Amino acid sequence: MTFLAFFFILSSLLSFVWAQLVLKRAMENTQKSGFRNLRFISRVAGGIALMTISFFLMLGLLQRFDLSYLYPFQGLSVIIISLMAAVMLKEKLTLQLTIGALLISAGIVLVSLS
Amino acid sequence: MQDRPSGFGNPWLQLALSVLCVLVSELLLKRGANDIADPSSVWSWTGINGLASPLVWLGIAFIIASFLSWLYVLKYIPLVIAFPLSRVVDILVPLGCWIFLGEFISTRRWCGIALVVIGLALVAKPVARIEERL
Repeated sequence: MTFLAFFFILSSLLSFVWAQLVLKRAMENTQKSGFRNLRFISRVAGGIALMTISFFLMLGLLQRFDLSYLYPFQGLSVIIISLMAAVMLKEKLTLQLTIGALLISAGIVLVSLS
Repeated sequence: MQDRPSGFGNPWLQLALSVLCVLVSELLLKRGANDIADPSSVWSWTGINGLASPLVWLGIAFIIASFLSWLYVLKYIPLVIAFPLSRVVDILVPLGCWIFLGEFISTRRWCGIALVVIGLALVAKPVARIEERL
């Protein structure tokens, strides 16, 4: 794998993770302040922009590599998002949830390696 | 978790719908990307040339549908639970290929599928407890 490929895979993964965190925060706030405010709209727009970047980077990667090669990296998103949600959004990450997320990540990697 | 609607508005149903739409979109995008693959072009790194494929557009429609139900899910379910559960799609794809396309699944792949299932069970278990209390 070239450095360029690694860079694009990482960029796609991180923009996807970031988008999830932004969107989660946007939707949480709708409980209190509803949908018609600038903060909600800008967060959703930001989340969509990040997902769009991630999407096109992945489409570019799919033209060069097999889906089975790219999938292990998507598997990593499970554990990264769980950790980031706990750190950034202060969600309660129990030991059981952590082990569950680790097993799912490991399983996805195994599935796509074979 | 707050009071939440039942029926079609049930966030767990929406999570399932979101997962199904992702499954369909992944298959469409891979087919579409294969159809118009042009690795010699520098621009193809951005994936933008993928828009030439109708299958990619159909895939995008499914992504939008999954996105809308996913937003709804995020309103009610914590990310540490919703996101790991949403990755059930990663075993649905190989299982779908096995069941519907008659593709071979190696021992290693079965082990991976088993790991994901155990992981999903671990994540879903606290959910079942929360639901019981409601």
